Amino acid sequence: MKDIREDIAWAQINNDVLKSLENPRKLYWVILFIAIAVVGVAVGCEIYQYNMGLGVGNFDNPHMWGLYIASFIFWIGMSHSGTLLSAILHIMHADWRKPIYRFAEAMTTFSLMTAGLFVAVHLGRIWQIYFALPYPNMRQLWPNFQSPLLWDAMAIFTYLSSSILFLYVGMIPDLAICRDNMHPGWRKKLYTALALGWEGTDRQWRNFRVTYLTIACFLIPLAVSVHSIVASDFAMSQQPGWHITSFPPYFVAGALYSGCAAIITLFIILRYVFKFEEYMTMAILKKISRLTFAIAMVWTYLVWVEYATAWFGNAHDHHLMIEKATGTYAPFWWMMNFCASVVPFVLFFKRFQTNIPVLFAVSLLLNLGMWLERWMIVAPTFADGYYPWTWDHNQWPSLVQWGIVFGSFGWFTMLFMIFCKIFPSVSMYEVKEMVYHRKLATKKLQATANLAAAGKGAH
Amino acid sequence: MNNDFNRRDFLKVLGWGGTAVALSGCGNGMVESGKETVVSYVETNDYMIPSVSVYFNSTCAQCDAGCSIMGRVREGRVLKLEGNPNSAINRGKTCGLGQAGVQHHYNPDRVREPLLRTGDQGEAISWDKAYALIAEKLKGVSGEEIAFLTGGVSGHLKVLMGNYLDSFGCKNHFVYEAIAPAVVRAANKKSYGVEMPRFNINKAKVVLSFGADFLGAWVSPVNFSQQYAQFRKGVNGQRGVLIQVESKMTITGANADRWLAVRPGTEGILALGIIHALGTATGEVAAAVKGYDKERVSRDTGVSAEQIDKIAALLKARTPSLVLVGSAAEGYAHGSQNAAAINLLNQVLGNVGKTVEGAAIVPFPQMMPATGNTVALNKLNKGLNEGKYKVLFSYATNPVFTAPGAMKFKDNMAKAGFKVAFAHYLDETAMQADLVLPLDSALEDWGTQVPEYMAEGAQINIQQPLMEKLHPGTRGMGDILLALIKQRGAADYKNFDDFYAYLRSAVLHNKGALGGSGVADDDIFWNETLSKGIVKLPGAAHASLSARSGASGLSLPAPAAIDAQYPLQLIPHVNASLRDGRNTNQPWLQESPDPLTTIVWDSWVEIHPKKAAELGIVEGDIVEVTGKNGSVKVQAYVFPGIHPDAISIPIGRGHEAMGRYAKGYGVNPFQILDLVYDKETGELALHETRVKISKTGQRVIVVKDEGPVGGNQEGQKIVPRMTTDKVNLSKEI
Amino acid sequence: MSISTLFADYSQFRHRHPDGDVPHNPYKWAMAIDLDACSGCNACAVACYAENNLPVVGREKFANGQAMHWMRIERYWDQDGREFPDQGARYLPMLCQQCEAAPCETVCPVGATNHTPDGLNSQVYNRCIGSRYCSSNCPYKVRYFNWWDYPTTDNVWPAEMNLQLNPDVTVRGKGVMEKCTFCMQRLRAAESDAKTQGRLVRDGEVQTACQQACPTSAISFGNLVDPESRVHKQWRAQQVELDKHEQAKDEEAGGSDLRGYRIYEWLAPYPSIMYMERVREIAI
Repeated sequence: MKDIREDIAWAQINNDVLKSLENPRKLYWVILFIAIAVVGVAVGCEIYQYNMGLGVGNFDNPHMWGLYIASFIFWIGMSHSGTLLSAILHIMHADWRKPIYRFAEAMTTFSLMTAGLFVAVHLGRIWQIYFALPYPNMRQLWPNFQSPLLWDAMAIFTYLSSSILFLYVGMIPDLAICRDNMHPGWRKKLYTALALGWEGTDRQWRNFRVTYLTIACFLIPLAVSVHSIVASDFAMSQQPGWHITSFPPYFVAGALYSGCAAIITLFIILRYVFKFEEYMTMAILKKISRLTFAIAMVWTYLVWVEYATAWFGNAHDHHLMIEKATGTYAPFWWMMNFCASVVPFVLFFKRFQTNIPVLFAVSLLLNLGMWLERWMIVAPTFADGYYPWTWDHNQWPSLVQWGIVFGSFGWFTMLFMIFCKIFPSVSMYEVKEMVYHRKLATKKLQATANLAAAGKGAH
Repeated sequence: MNNDFNRRDFLKVLGWGGTAVALSGCGNGMVESGKETVVSYVETNDYMIPSVSVYFNSTCAQCDAGCSIMGRVREGRVLKLEGNPNSAINRGKTCGLGQAGVQHHYNPDRVREPLLRTGDQGEAISWDKAYALIAEKLKGVSGEEIAFLTGGVSGHLKVLMGNYLDSFGCKNHFVYEAIAPAVVRAANKKSYGVEMPRFNINKAKVVLSFGADFLGAWVSPVNFSQQYAQFRKGVNGQRGVLIQVESKMTITGANADRWLAVRPGTEGILALGIIHALGTATGEVAAAVKGYDKERVSRDTGVSAEQIDKIAALLKARTPSLVLVGSAAEGYAHGSQNAAAINLLNQVLGNVGKTVEGAAIVPFPQMMPATGNTVALNKLNKGLNEGKYKVLFSYATNPVFTAPGAMKFKDNMAKAGFKVAFAHYLDETAMQADLVLPLDSALEDWGTQVPEYMAEGAQINIQQPLMEKLHPGTRGMGDILLALIKQRGAADYKNFDDFYAYLRSAVLHNKGALGGSGVADDDIFWNETLSKGIVKLPGAAHASLSARSGASGLSLPAPAAIDAQYPLQLIPHVNASLRDGRNTNQPWLQESPDPLTTIVWDSWVEIHPKKAAELGIVEGDIVEVTGKNGSVKVQAYVFPGIHPDAISIPIGRGHEAMGRYAKGYGVNPFQILDLVYDKETGELALHETRVKISKTGQRVIVVKDEGPVGGNQEGQKIVPRMTTDKVNLSKEI
Repeated sequence: MSISTLFADYSQFRHRHPDGDVPHNPYKWAMAIDLDACSGCNACAVACYAENNLPVVGREKFANGQAMHWMRIERYWDQDGREFPDQGARYLPMLCQQCEAAPCETVCPVGATNHTPDGLNSQVYNRCIGSRYCSSNCPYKVRYFNWWDYPTTDNVWPAEMNLQLNPDVTVRGKGVMEKCTFCMQRLRAAESDAKTQGRLVRDGEVQTACQQACPTSAISFGNLVDPESRVHKQWRAQQVELDKHEQAKDEEAGGSDLRGYRIYEWLAPYPSIMYMERVREIAI
């Protein structure tokens, strides 16, 4: 199966994609409104929490961390989707990424923004969050560079700024297309400003290619290191269930996993909503499914490495392992394992690899599994740490925590929806490259074949 | 030092100015926001330096042990209480209850003005009006028609109180301490000749305690705790051994080398069994213990024969020992007999004169503590029921809370004509009064106190204010009594402006006897006395213990049969912080986990796991504990440290009044106690209430400090323990 | 702020693991708690509330696990399946162990918890942003977080109760972590007084609130570096060394006959509190 049809005219590509930027239908507004309402609920929860203290989240000693950290890691994980597609697959010359990496990259950016919010929401004194930054101060204090949380701060800043840059830079040719094809209005003004005067000259393209590649090469180790650093929040501590050296690759694998699953979800939605069937084809969907399955297996292997480490580790880790499987968190733990290790096997079968309803459901389940996985890393260690007197098997997050977590999904949805209506969610110029390449390649092959048939060699 | 120096003036300057400064320092930006002003001292005193603490000595009033405290005072307010190192009783240490004394003082629910009841409401009135009202109510009332109900009192307050009552010819001073070792005292008197000898725990090699919670709430826990520490370090390097015999584990039991769960009421039988096993008894004693062989005793008590032998062997091998009796006496209708049997053990072991000694005697009998328990309350109750009393005064006691409901004390109290309560808070008894007169807190008041248990030497404790009074509307009890006495026209008192003056004069009058014969200047002696906070009487004589054989008339009943309808025996447990409930409105104590169950802010009923399994009860089940005289609904806690035939509910909670920190927390087991009395003394037998338990179907999560695995170390080395054969204590310092 | 402080501050900022006999000079505050003397009475815990302005959180919040007792008395039973706990219970006062290599110190993102020159683990309230990583890493879980605004919205000290507050100790607002400080306010005052007199603090001159209250004198506290101090003598008699995570005496065949030990010593946080095992008489 070819990834996309070879004979799509470039003008058609423009039209199809630009059509997605038209004024939205009613359903869009309804969903956007709901998303904003959910965000409103979260904001209300946060205001309540800010005023009363974190106690409203139903934290206690020892449950010092809860859904905020779990969601933080989840969103950082989700952000690896874009990097995977944009950067890693770009370097591997996997062309099938081209129609889909734009929205994936947008997903990355918005995931990171959401994750950043969780850092703030999690802190006891948000108004002093800037203490974590190395800013000039009278006390001559630096933040503590030994702390993984601080590395988080650095890493996320870097990653976020790089992702935004990458997304933006990669969009410039498309923004130029938008600019050129838009009637006057606020949109045209916006695109004109953002396109930075792109004209598509040879020189600009060459610079563009180099820049894009550079950022891509920079972004890959950054993505790996960001999630490794987030993993270090746990791996560098000495709590049972956390102090496991395989955590950095395990988290990165989980991140890629989570990202791929989210890509499938959004793929299906965008394909349907914007009628991108020509670009977000079944062939690509199939490839994504297989990739997801592969990553799922890598993740499954790594999670079993974690289980083995815990089982054969010291008595505390061993005990925690048993608690996870049989204690108060057992239902969630088993659900997590099921969703993340068993459900992906659906993707092994060809007939499901392009079955839209199945894939939609599966992708959501996979992400549910991954969200649960983050929670199952955070919570059980608190419930059953080293010290038995302080174990607490009965502490659950309050509605405030849930409100903010759901709000984050609303926030992400809101940002993504706004993005899709302002910026092209399919990379027009890259799709054109695919068609062009194919066209050119096909033409070349045809020409060679013709010449061969005519008995003359290729020059 | 300035001769005009008057402590009160000093405090006035210190306190008032200090409070203003304190307030401004304490609020969040109150000064900056202009809400409060900083008031500079007009005339500061020499040793009042901002940010430097000054310590004043006084006496803790949280229980009757009479420990001496030092209050840390800064800028005119007392911040924290420490122990006074000079007191032979507590030697610089305090218990948690003592630490909470500041919360008694600063409690937001203190009564601030005299309150007169009009219907259901209380109307604030002035002191003049209050005194006038009392005078009016007392007009034409004879001495027999007046009742004065107090808790334990001693020192000059007791003297003044006595004088006030004498001015009417009133003999109706009822002393009711809800928790008091009354039966023990009576038994001691019979066995040793004194009510409270001195116990030298630190000289004993073995302490065998029959329910005496000496590390918790029995008699003088801070003193005993210190002695206990020395006891564990050992006499001649041999660590002391503690054996605790009781039906419900107290904190002392939790620290025992061997805790023996004994069938409720059979402690006396066990004591006789041990005497029998010792094999050294002769004559009358031998005859008394003849039937108490190991097998019979083991059957009756539940303690194995092997264990009895071990105890006997240990007591023989390690002398001197010390045998104490506590709840074994207070709990049962045959409590006196139990106590007699247990005290007999001390005699047989030869402990009398060694670890049981005569205490020093304070040579002022009128100042000695007045004690009393249910007998006194019953007498009062009867009189109230008969409508005998036209005026009832109540001070330092809360019978509406602590009296068993079956006594119907609340109803009977209503029959008194005019009820006056001298109170710090609107507790249950004050709520029933017609007139509530607000008292200075224990940290604001003057007085002297003679401790109920005298440690080494004789001492009189001084109580002095640690700061100027917080609420201008309160008065010291002594001041109130003085005003009331003056109403009676007593000429002797007209020269005393206030209780302070009376006290000072009384102390100086006896300067010689109080160790001040070498100090010529009265002022200097007085200031030194205040400064020390204790008056030691070095030459005081010691009581002599008569070596009476307590075997005569000893007759212990067989173990009680189990009532089919009410199969469980209720043990209302006294814990160290809450005691009889007088301190429940101190939040530190409410939040201080119970040492055995770690439960806070609530009541519970302890049930042995075997019994709980039988009844299908798990932790957190709300169960109804029903006796003949009422029932309470309380959360269940499965607890291995209790005899399966007994259950235990702590006392002290279940207040229906007494402020925001006390009201509405827990249940009050006092209310459902059966009216069973010790046959000899007539005091309430606290453990004789028979109850049954039924589930209500509700379940709650018990609020406690321990985690889900309770007291389990989960195989970790958190609190390992060594046995004496493995440990080397010789190198310890 | 300069590059030079990046290097200069750090050597003091991050105290190295204990090394050799004298990790701190001239003071290293340490404690020894005799569990055979500890009766579990809770006097120390209440004294700590009084001294350090600890909020009483009330029933609901305590039920929710949000208690603020810097010092907690733990009660353990023997796990031997007998019908009664007839060998008594075991009590353990657990408080911040002031670890020399504290797991909490390394992970605070803003450096709100550090090691002081006199060997304490410090908690700087006004630097804390409330990430709670320190408490996550604490193996003893002796760090307590202000989940609520106790002085203001919770009004834990209603009028007149606020007069009891110790002016030497900060009243913490919401969002900061707190824990036992070995009554640092008393230590600083004593150190400063001694310094003005040109000497060092003598043993017994300063007591922590818990030590001062304890009726059985189970708690010893003092300067581990001072060879005359009681706590130094106790550590030495028990052959427990601060800078080891395995004590030589434990390597002896049959184990040691000395009572001193530290909790979670093998995790190598190098705690500054030595406990002495409870003892039980076998003759009974």
